[in-house]
Amino acid sequence: MKNMFLRTRTTGIKAGFPASHFLCPSKIGGRAKRRGYVLTVFRFDFSPFGRRPLVPFSVFRFIILFSVLTLASCVDEVQFANTPEGNMEALWKIIDEHYCFLDYKAEAIGLDWNEVHARYRGKLNKKMTSTQLQEVLCNMLGELQDGHVNLYTAADVGRYWAWKEGYPSNLNDEIRELYLGNDYRIAAGLYYRILDDNVGYIVYHSFSSGIGEGNIAEVLHHLRLCSGLIIDVRGNGGGQLDYAQRLASHFTNERILVGYRSYKTGTGHSDFSELTPEYLEPSTTIRWQKPAIVLTNRGCYSATNTFVRDMLCCPNVRTLGDSTGGGGGMPFTSELPNGWLVRFSACPQFDKEKQHIEFGIAPTIPCELKTEDVLKGKDTLIETARELLGKR
Amino acid sequence: MTLAILSMPLRLVAQSAGDSIRTHSFVLGIGSSHQLDTYLSPLNYTGYQVSFLRETLRMTRLANRRVSFQSLWQGTFSQTSNISGTTTDWGAHIGYDALWHYNWTPVQGLRLMAGGAIGADAGVLYNSRGGNNPAQGRVNVDISASVMAIYKFRLWRQDLSFRYQANMPLMGVMFSPQFGQSYYEIGTGNANGNACFSQPGNAFSLWQQFTVDIPVGKYVVIRTGYLCDIRQSHVHGIKMHDRSHSFMIGFVKHFRNVGREKRKVADVIL
Repeated sequence: MKNMFLRTRTTGIKAGFPASHFLCPSKIGGRAKRRGYVLTVFRFDFSPFGRRPLVPFSVFRFIILFSVLTLASCVDEVQFANTPEGNMEALWKIIDEHYCFLDYKAEAIGLDWNEVHARYRGKLNKKMTSTQLQEVLCNMLGELQDGHVNLYTAADVGRYWAWKEGYPSNLNDEIRELYLGNDYRIAAGLYYRILDDNVGYIVYHSFSSGIGEGNIAEVLHHLRLCSGLIIDVRGNGGGQLDYAQRLASHFTNERILVGYRSYKTGTGHSDFSELTPEYLEPSTTIRWQKPAIVLTNRGCYSATNTFVRDMLCCPNVRTLGDSTGGGGGMPFTSELPNGWLVRFSACPQFDKEKQHIEFGIAPTIPCELKTEDVLKGKDTLIETARELLGKR
Repeated sequence: MTLAILSMPLRLVAQSAGDSIRTHSFVLGIGSSHQLDTYLSPLNYTGYQVSFLRETLRMTRLANRRVSFQSLWQGTFSQTSNISGTTTDWGAHIGYDALWHYNWTPVQGLRLMAGGAIGADAGVLYNSRGGNNPAQGRVNVDISASVMAIYKFRLWRQDLSFRYQANMPLMGVMFSPQFGQSYYEIGTGNANGNACFSQPGNAFSLWQQFTVDIPVGKYVVIRTGYLCDIRQSHVHGIKMHDRSHSFMIGFVKHFRNVGREKRKVADVIL
């Protein structure tokens, strides 16, 4: 290819530049030619003030290199089109790169995320409605079997709730209300009273309801003469991890290892940080020294799952009821080109044996709510816990 | 401001050693903003940005009075939304740069400047629908290269000044969470690897401004111009860009330091 030359006469700015104002081409460097490279370079000697170039060639080389570097250095992300295909591809990619249980669930439930892509890609068509698209995408997310995975649209919240809906609830709210009676006390999110057999009873409906050290200290002080304590977190779907750890910290006298956590360090399914140990620090206020039983069911999820994990590491604490629902991954959010919001597990948690707690934690004492007890207005789990605490 | 710079060599000769001229300017800008932060969302966000730029420029005694010092404060606020308009990002940032330029005056009316800078920036980008990843913090300290060209000419009996300036960070240290690391995790003390070495290969950024100073009346100098601020990074698998283009307008003030020996006692307040 021939070297290209350009000679252009331009009009000087009257007030500032002399009349001799040229853009002059000249030769390119010969080294590239000698090496056999084919190279075409424009060279402009900006010489408004005489023959001597005002700006040397090296500066122009730098400018060209700089411009190329600028264009090549744009940091961008692939933007999918707002079509059924584009939204599905965007969702699949988000999960593929950010979801933290793909490897674990491939082993535990045989999940093949690439196969899921191929299967659901075939269910799309360009004429499908928004509702139909939502159904397809929710079904695709359902393959993950994760209660922390949701698809939020203007019309609905896509969800996977089989972790609790497919099991007995082991909870009757009306009967639980009977145990609380009418004279129960409320300290922030804690509902509590002393039962007839001198057993303390605390119900915590949601870890989204805030509790402070002062609240917990007041509750435990009120219950200090009880022979034991029942903490009922059945149906508690989670909330703030801080509240869970704050409550659990009143049941240990020393710093104890309760589990581990990790996070993703890259887009690969196995890209994780090293496990970080999680410790439970003892509270500096009142600490419970007597037996305690935590009532659990499949409705215990997310932060409640972590609370149960932590409590099981505390001395004098047992759990009674059904397995927790799970939810052992801290969720992140992202979004699709059509504006739908997707939530997914991003940071896995483990118990102190470094085992996943995503599918729940088994109780120390398995117990089911019996129909005959319900008919009598009795809660089997509460009665069993009272009996165990009373035996002591 | 550039009027003062261009006339500095002549004035400095005529003045005593204690005299110097400082040029202060304050401009406000409004323009467009194009943002991406894959820690928050894979989508591009577009919207507006308002900003201010506070600048001080003066000659120093270094290299036989051929080195100038420039101080730059910049603050921005942006509001952007995704393509479907369902989510809003709010961003704020403040930064400071101290720059030293060597000055050449090849011909009368033209001044070329090249040098380096030390700067620091801090900012935050908040996503209105984020869960455990609702915001992204940005902190960085950089060493930059900087070039500037100032050209002065007379038009319609007015001394106009054109200026172009470009700053590009060459190396520095920046904060970034790991790919899937939550701020909860960082807050618990597990913050290893969150301070990263930055260089054009992983954090190419470029700050450019083109300004025109126009005298209005005897004492007022209006500055108007265009500011192109490109900030990017690709660290720990997190892609970020924040590109803004702003129209700037403000005013310029010149101050002369007359030196201690020239001050009259009656004029000194403190």
